[in-house]
Amino acid sequence: MKTPLLLGALALAAVPVLAQQKAIPADSVRTIVLQEVAVVTKRHDHQQHLQNFYNANQAATTEELMSRMPELSFIRRGSYGMEPTIRAYSGGQVSVTLDGMRIQGACTDKMDPATIYIEPLNLQRIEVQTAGASSMQGAAIGGSLDMKLAEAELSDERKLSGSVSSGYQSAAHAMLGGLRLSYATPTWGLRASSTYRKAQNYRNGHGEKVLYSQYEKANYALNGKFLLQEDLVLKADLIIDDGWNIGFPALPMDVGQANARIGSVSLVRENSDRRWSRVEARLYANRIAHSMDDSARPDLPVRMDMPGLSRTSGMYLEGTTSPGHHQQLTVRADASASYLSASMTMYQEGQTPMYMLTWPDNRQLQSGIAAQYSFQVGDKTQLQLNSRVNLSDFAITTGEGRSQLSVFGYENTARQFVIPSLSLQASRMVYKKLKASLSGGFNGRTPTASELYGFYLFTQFDGFDYVGNPNMKSEKSLQSEFTLSWQEPRVRLQATGYVSRVQDYIVGTYDPNLSAMTIGARGVKVYDNTPYALLAGAEASAVYNITGYTQLVSTLRYNYGRNADGEPLPMIPPLRSITSLRKYFGDNLWVQGETELAAAQNRNSESFRERPTKAFMLWHLRAGYQRETENKVWQLNTGIENIFDVHYREHLDWGRIARPGRNVFVQVSMGF
Amino acid sequence: MKKYTWLTLWALFLTTLLFTTSCDSDDVAPMPTVEYKKLAEGNAAGSDIKVELYSTEDLATGYNQLYVALFDAAGKRIEQGSVSLKPQMDMGMMKHAAPVENPVSEQTKNGYFPGAVVFTMPSGEMGSWTLGIQVQANGQTGTFTTPVTIKEPATSRLKSFVSKTDGAKYFVVYLQPQKPKVGVNDIEIAVYKANSMMDYPAVTNLSLVLEPEMPTMGHGSPNNVNPTHAGGGHYKGKANFTMTGLWYLHLTINDATGEAGKLHFEVNF
Repeated sequence: MKTPLLLGALALAAVPVLAQQKAIPADSVRTIVLQEVAVVTKRHDHQQHLQNFYNANQAATTEELMSRMPELSFIRRGSYGMEPTIRAYSGGQVSVTLDGMRIQGACTDKMDPATIYIEPLNLQRIEVQTAGASSMQGAAIGGSLDMKLAEAELSDERKLSGSVSSGYQSAAHAMLGGLRLSYATPTWGLRASSTYRKAQNYRNGHGEKVLYSQYEKANYALNGKFLLQEDLVLKADLIIDDGWNIGFPALPMDVGQANARIGSVSLVRENSDRRWSRVEARLYANRIAHSMDDSARPDLPVRMDMPGLSRTSGMYLEGTTSPGHHQQLTVRADASASYLSASMTMYQEGQTPMYMLTWPDNRQLQSGIAAQYSFQVGDKTQLQLNSRVNLSDFAITTGEGRSQLSVFGYENTARQFVIPSLSLQASRMVYKKLKASLSGGFNGRTPTASELYGFYLFTQFDGFDYVGNPNMKSEKSLQSEFTLSWQEPRVRLQATGYVSRVQDYIVGTYDPNLSAMTIGARGVKVYDNTPYALLAGAEASAVYNITGYTQLVSTLRYNYGRNADGEPLPMIPPLRSITSLRKYFGDNLWVQGETELAAAQNRNSESFRERPTKAFMLWHLRAGYQRETENKVWQLNTGIENIFDVHYREHLDWGRIARPGRNVFVQVSMGF
Repeated sequence: MKKYTWLTLWALFLTTLLFTTSCDSDDVAPMPTVEYKKLAEGNAAGSDIKVELYSTEDLATGYNQLYVALFDAAGKRIEQGSVSLKPQMDMGMMKHAAPVENPVSEQTKNGYFPGAVVFTMPSGEMGSWTLGIQVQANGQTGTFTTPVTIKEPATSRLKSFVSKTDGAKYFVVYLQPQKPKVGVNDIEIAVYKANSMMDYPAVTNLSLVLEPEMPTMGHGSPNNVNPTHAGGGHYKGKANFTMTGLWYLHLTINDATGEAGKLHFEVNF
């Protein structure tokens, strides 16, 4: 009866990351767990309900799962390859890592965020850390998003297990197939999984087909675990992700090929009797090749190819120790080297091809030392200190690249940045089960390769060509966050407010002296530091177990942003709420009703030609049925999303492209 | 147990090594090897000086760098002398000369007297070119005249216009960049005025405005430097190309009284 189920469950803010180490949980960590949940005899355990709760549409992609977390939003240019934002921080302001590994996108148009290289089938959990706590992952001002990979397991007796699943979604006639095989022995384990997806153009709420919204991809993951000693484990991971024919309706180009090869080897020692209770060392390397393609688009003034390549290798070493009673110290040292290059070749009948480097070949060396120190002061008070010093070194690596950038008079293109960050968080049980946390700190981030070296990168969002500026300063942020939470077995409430002032806010500034390269572009913007920007917002969540069989989960979030001139920042999501009510009928069937509500966003950025977005309300209905036979578990998940076929778009969707209309999904899986 | 600690340390060491040794690939341009091709040779009439004419490229409409080598009767290279170039186009009904740059020094450079001729049209049915080389050395004077064949280059390197201010015909010739690249390019052009069919002096008092354009895309490039006079009718400036492909270098030519004319050169790479 211990058969694992296919795909797992998704819980909200329920599992503190360090729980396994009997450590002190940090309030600024939000985790969703997506591990394979063993079906055990103990039923209707509260924790399990919570985990299962967000197990919404099991045919969903990783992006769709994440978009349900109140801290996360996605900038959408197509139905695939959406760019994650944390509290309206995007791009280089957030640190997106895959199990602690850095991955640099190879696309100058951000069509390949690291989140696309992982499927729910090989994802164990997602950790979102806001503000100061993200220092462990990297130098960022907007927090960190880390996706933990599912791991092979060890077992006392040799065991083969696996699952097969298949799903369908009606709006895009999307097919999904998944396969997982695990083999466990007392000293080693292997886990292999693969996922295949194919989606056609989807239908929006008006029943119209949204052209160029199709995609197709295959993902393969292999993980091995070897017990070298009692407390020492060697792990190896390999992920191969190939996407092709990926449409981007909001952009003038699609993606022909997006290939990722991600590998790592790590050693982990876990032993609570040792001075360092956990030590992990990891070496990793990845290579992303991405090529944009416009062959499917009719009537273009110029045809072009835009290939990009990113190679990263790196390492990190992390250790956790307890320097004293009720204290925990985690230290991390990491280093990575990334090499980026991207070019564009335009073709005009009977003419020499027009070739330029959109990312002149460049490299970023990055290293940092971070520490997290937690101290339980008495029964009620807890302190946590996060700090990091990050060194980055950017350079153009070829004479050709330097020659190209000299067009803008940039003679010295090499840059070094030292980014310190520090934050302190204090939590206290203030009244019965009411806990208050206050944190404050400063951090910073380096400009990205595009912001330093980008060469006429056309941005469909505001219609400008963007040019990098190697003379920019780093972006620095001062921030503070306040959380109140109330937790008891049946009810958990949490509300967070945050505010941050971002100094030297990086934004493209219009330069009327430059002429646009892209046909139809409005002009050229050059990246520069502006005096400051102010970002603030709030999130709230409630989980209420009305009865053992009925559960209510609701989340709410609001974001606010303005620049130094008082103008609203672009890409700020409006007030948004998701509320679900789930009821169990017996042990094998559940039904869940859900509403998704977004207010209008009228604080749009005029200087980015951003337009207001209307409010919308969606209704979803989902159901799950599970049947266990002697050695198999069958699972059926089905539902209707956007029941009333509402025609809507979210504020972060580019190009005013409507989202899918009514979508019926069904997924069947069999685990053994 | 120690073994794995060492393993980890070694792994870290190797990674560090990997990072520090990944050096930048700097493309070093090799020195171009100049190859002098002999175009003609013969004795300068009225002397016993042997004249040899060289160039590094085939002669074409536009600016042509020429190299003259002189030898005495014993076959010894003459290092000091005076050389002047006299190109002439014979079109049957009429004859005309072309702008020239005679060797400035009476001393050879690497054994040659370097000069230049701006051939203003190709050889063909319209007429044929001859080049007279007048030499004065070792107390002797003579002229060697040779027919030369001038080709029309694929991309025109010579433009002419009739000035709006003085009504005279001007020739504008493109010298640089010969190897255009994406980035900042040194640009060099030279301007000559047709005073008569035989007299084409260099023009030194113009102010030029340069504007590169990519005609298929309709865009320009930033931070160009207008060519200014650098001696002998040559004007030097900077042209920036943001990508490969076909570019137009638009030039507006102004003299002391105002705009004299406009023209453009094509650069295709």
